[in-house]
Amino acid sequence: MELLYQYAWLIPVLPLLGATFLGIGLISLNKATNSLRKTLSFFIVFIAGTAMVLSFGIFWSQIHGHETYTRTIEWASAGDFHLQMGYIIDNLTSLMLVVVTTVAFLVMIYTDGYMAHDPGYVRFYAYLSIFSSSMLGLVISPNLVQIYIFWELVGMCSYLLVGFWYERKAAAEACQKAFVTNRVGDFGLLLGMLGLYWATGSFDFGIIGERLQELTASGALSAGLATLFAILVFLGPVAKSAQVPLHVWLPDAMEGPTPISALIHAATMVAAGVFLIARMYPILESVPIAMTIIACTGAVTAFTGATIALTQNDIKKGLAYSTMSQLGYMVMAMGLGSYSAGLFHLMTHAYFKAMLFLCSGSVIHGMEAVVGHNPVLAQDMRLMGGLRKYMPVTAYTFLIGNLAICGIFPFSGFWSKDEILGQAFQANPVLWFVGWLTAGLTAFYMFRMYFMTFEGEFRGNDTEIRQQLLTASGVAFGPGAMDSKEAETHGHSDSPHESPLNMALPLVLLAIPSFAVGLVGMPWSNYFEEFIHAPGAIISEEPFELNEFLIMAGLSIAIAVTGIIVATLMYRLKKIDPNALAKKYPTLYQLSLNKWYFDDIYDKFFVVGSRRLARQIMEVDYRVVDGAVNLTGLATLLSGEGLKYLETGRAQFYALIVFAAVLGFVLVFSVT
Amino acid sequence: MESVQIPWLTAITLLPLLAALPIPIIPDKEGKTVRWYALYVALADLALMVYGFWENYSVKSHQFQLAETYSWMPQLGLSWSLGVDGLSMPLIFLSGLITTLAILASWKVNHKPRLYYFLVLVLYSAQIGVFAAQDILLFFLMWEIELVPVYLLISIWGGKKRLYAATKFILYTALASIFILVSGLALAFYGDNFTFNIAELGMKDYPLALELLAYVGFLIAFGVKLPIFPLHTWLPDAHSQASAPISMILAGVLLKMGGYALIRFNIETLPHAHIKFAPLLVALGVINIIYGAFTAFGQTNLKRRLASSSISHMGFVLIGIASFTDLGMNGAVLQMISHGLIAAALFFLSGTAYDRTHTLMMDEMGGMAQKMPKTFALFTAGSMASLALPGMSGFVGELSIFLGIATSDVYSQTFKVGIIFLTSVGLILTPIYLLSMLREVFYGEANTKLKLEGFGIDAQPREIFITACLLIPIIGIGLYPKVATNTYDVKTIQVAEKMRSVFPVIVEKQENNLNASLLSTWQSPGLIAPKIK
Repeated sequence: MELLYQYAWLIPVLPLLGATFLGIGLISLNKATNSLRKTLSFFIVFIAGTAMVLSFGIFWSQIHGHETYTRTIEWASAGDFHLQMGYIIDNLTSLMLVVVTTVAFLVMIYTDGYMAHDPGYVRFYAYLSIFSSSMLGLVISPNLVQIYIFWELVGMCSYLLVGFWYERKAAAEACQKAFVTNRVGDFGLLLGMLGLYWATGSFDFGIIGERLQELTASGALSAGLATLFAILVFLGPVAKSAQVPLHVWLPDAMEGPTPISALIHAATMVAAGVFLIARMYPILESVPIAMTIIACTGAVTAFTGATIALTQNDIKKGLAYSTMSQLGYMVMAMGLGSYSAGLFHLMTHAYFKAMLFLCSGSVIHGMEAVVGHNPVLAQDMRLMGGLRKYMPVTAYTFLIGNLAICGIFPFSGFWSKDEILGQAFQANPVLWFVGWLTAGLTAFYMFRMYFMTFEGEFRGNDTEIRQQLLTASGVAFGPGAMDSKEAETHGHSDSPHESPLNMALPLVLLAIPSFAVGLVGMPWSNYFEEFIHAPGAIISEEPFELNEFLIMAGLSIAIAVTGIIVATLMYRLKKIDPNALAKKYPTLYQLSLNKWYFDDIYDKFFVVGSRRLARQIMEVDYRVVDGAVNLTGLATLLSGEGLKYLETGRAQFYALIVFAAVLGFVLVFSVT
Repeated sequence: MESVQIPWLTAITLLPLLAALPIPIIPDKEGKTVRWYALYVALADLALMVYGFWENYSVKSHQFQLAETYSWMPQLGLSWSLGVDGLSMPLIFLSGLITTLAILASWKVNHKPRLYYFLVLVLYSAQIGVFAAQDILLFFLMWEIELVPVYLLISIWGGKKRLYAATKFILYTALASIFILVSGLALAFYGDNFTFNIAELGMKDYPLALELLAYVGFLIAFGVKLPIFPLHTWLPDAHSQASAPISMILAGVLLKMGGYALIRFNIETLPHAHIKFAPLLVALGVINIIYGAFTAFGQTNLKRRLASSSISHMGFVLIGIASFTDLGMNGAVLQMISHGLIAAALFFLSGTAYDRTHTLMMDEMGGMAQKMPKTFALFTAGSMASLALPGMSGFVGELSIFLGIATSDVYSQTFKVGIIFLTSVGLILTPIYLLSMLREVFYGEANTKLKLEGFGIDAQPREIFITACLLIPIIGIGLYPKVATNTYDVKTIQVAEKMRSVFPVIVEKQENNLNASLLSTWQSPGLIAPKIK
């Protein structure tokens, strides 16, 4: 056993070596590497499998009560400063290792089918492998700096993978948006980290927590500062786990290939935020205001995500908003102090949401046979319908995932969501209500998705809808943007087909935990909480109250069933016309359809604003600063050249503003 | 032992210069022999460096090592005095590496190749001379010698506006370097013992007024080189007009001369004045970072964007050296090394793109990834390094500087908070302009108007090799920073110690870092420097 712990560093290092090997191959011997595609993908999957086996070994020994194992080496030093890097293996790490490696392993098998005809097949495996490595490195990190390092690395992998199809304009924009939005979060995380280091002189979670408590208790550090640091750190998870208001990147990130959406943007990376909150728990716990903010952010995100998902027609976008909403649940749970419940939902969600995404990939794969390789057509649910007949495995596994996410007894999502809601009810009834309502919305939009995709008549050959969709997307991207794609709108078949075995198998394998994994956390015998609980927390042996459980579970199931019934009435039995409903409440419909206008507002203020500011500063640099130092500024001002700029007035005005701003900064800092 | 010692530094410094002399008479057709000759000379010098430092340099000492002194012109007091310590050794090695790679990158130069390689080799010597000089007059001489080849290299082999750029470069740097001479002479003549030796200059006691004046002089001279806002405007012109190999040297090595000299003269020689000026340096550093990032984002020319990003990144060096901490100093030197490698890689890659597109305007490019996937991959790697992705050297340098300024105990809390906040805003801006650059150049549908020609389309083995030579140390330092910091940290600790020792109150080490508040009696209230009692 000890040997397993000594060599645990191999878990992240092996995939890294695999990726390096492929990367060097692609750069130096491109043709040869690409012709060995099957061999190389087998090699990468084999490595992932090895990492998975090692992770299970560690998990097994942790279940049997092996103590926490830490190993570090000195990574950097300067004078009295020493920074350690290494790994820590405790219950939480071992659980995350298992979740990440299993999902990664299955996604890699699935990829073989999904990406079979893609010219970037080998490159995709290299990226997958480097992502697995970074994510595994993240979960074994023993200190804040190392978490930050891998935090950024998974962000980079996400950038590379979202922009995988680099010839697509939308993908190019999405990957940049994902990276920059995440940098905003990292900015907070870095500031928080520096603040905590300044206050406590350590990057170690436990030590920071202890010292922070001492310092605030003795008054050496004001509670306000402690709160500020905690909130800054929380900005990291806000971006990474797609919480409002930094969630805007996640839906766009669906431009990446679907296996990535399943692995990164559903199961693992986006859950890293929740993981970080769990790791930072000793610190956050002692800052009640920060905990409240975390809980509220989570609740708002859960609700916002669900309301937007109601009207999405792109199957992947719908799932993306659903992911955002479920992440909101987890964050809310963490904020309410339900440490174990939040992580429990992280685990169940990782399995069922990965499966749902892979199902959507399977659907898209099937649809491409009919409508061609244009995502505008292949991913739109208005063109689907009746797919259960053509692809039964996908349909039934999707249904299992659907029941799990809706929280139907006894699927996995029921247990985790019910635990969150139960604890929320005790802690804060308002948040409970938001979560409860969201559960209803979830059931509605998920079954809407299921009915539109798998039931009814197949609409894929309806040229009228196709034309409408193409026109709509053409308008959205500007005229002419779709020209080159239009050639591809014809598939080679009239009906979709079930996906090959290597895609169907991972779906079936993921269906098992999606159904059953919740059984480890039944309230009357909660093995999960016994294994994963907040550091320092004592598990109180509260007697299990059947009545209370029945009331809470009954309420949750009731709202979920209501959601399902409404969805059935609207999209299966067609008793209620969704369009009429939309016309009746145009404001609400538009709000949901336009994603609460977050993107438009950000675009207007940040994107356009920063571009304009940059141009102006550059102009100033060119005309004023350069001119002043060159002394030619004076000359131009005196000559007619200068008058031209004076007349337009704009350049001068901007110059004035920028200089006033710079001067202002200098003054502010010299006074304080 | 002393008598048989080999003059390593003299050999390293003079080899390229002496080897450049016979270039005009080498029998050669079409410049092919000359380029091999230049490459061999550069490699030989690099090998000499590796061997010389490996055998004779001890990383455990902060003293000048491999020191040699010969009287050169006694009537002037000028002596040929060389030596290296932790500050100069890594930078000399960096110059060797970058210049050698730049020669390899110049493989396709066919316009006046003899003159070209002659100038590059002279530049090689001058760079090493600047870093190794132990005599301020010699330092000045080397500093001036280096300007001439750069001027010619830009004005003959540069882009369309090369004459304007070269003239601007020479005017800025030559005028500014007069300040080195003036300040240097003032320090040399002060007091009883007249000396040009840098170490001895550092041991003299100057009146504060003289220190301050000399400090300002040095600051202007080195501020142009680094560059510091608002003396930076020559840089986007020079860097974008120079051919790619020369941009590699400009961004990779010449900017570091500014940072190196700031540490060597402004801090080591004039520590009392440094206390007064440090808050100003920090503020200028922040302006550099944010202003540079915004101007970079505003540029539509690929190389101008990269050039402006250099301004932004060098701002970190200023903050590091003014933080008065071991970590900050350490980070500043690391940032210089790291930026040298990263900027060289990016400028080289922009050159490989230019060789095929014949344009640097980003709006005329687009969709190039489909034709040049390898170049795209390497460019992405370089950009990631530049935006301080962990696992690459830029991150370690910037993190050390952040930690340095955060734990610095000489500034008031408000000042620190403001500085750290604004500096981190730079972290958000950097990916914006770098990733937009990648998006505009490589992503999207292929730009049909763009004609890619020459060299075969994608990156050739030679080009991949050059980039790899830069990326490997970048990643190596990122993975395990001690490979770089171990070579110099004894020296930076000593410099930090010296800076701090000038403060009248000696900082007492306390268990936690909150002691900053205990020292408020001499804390710097913003731009007004710490009071000296």
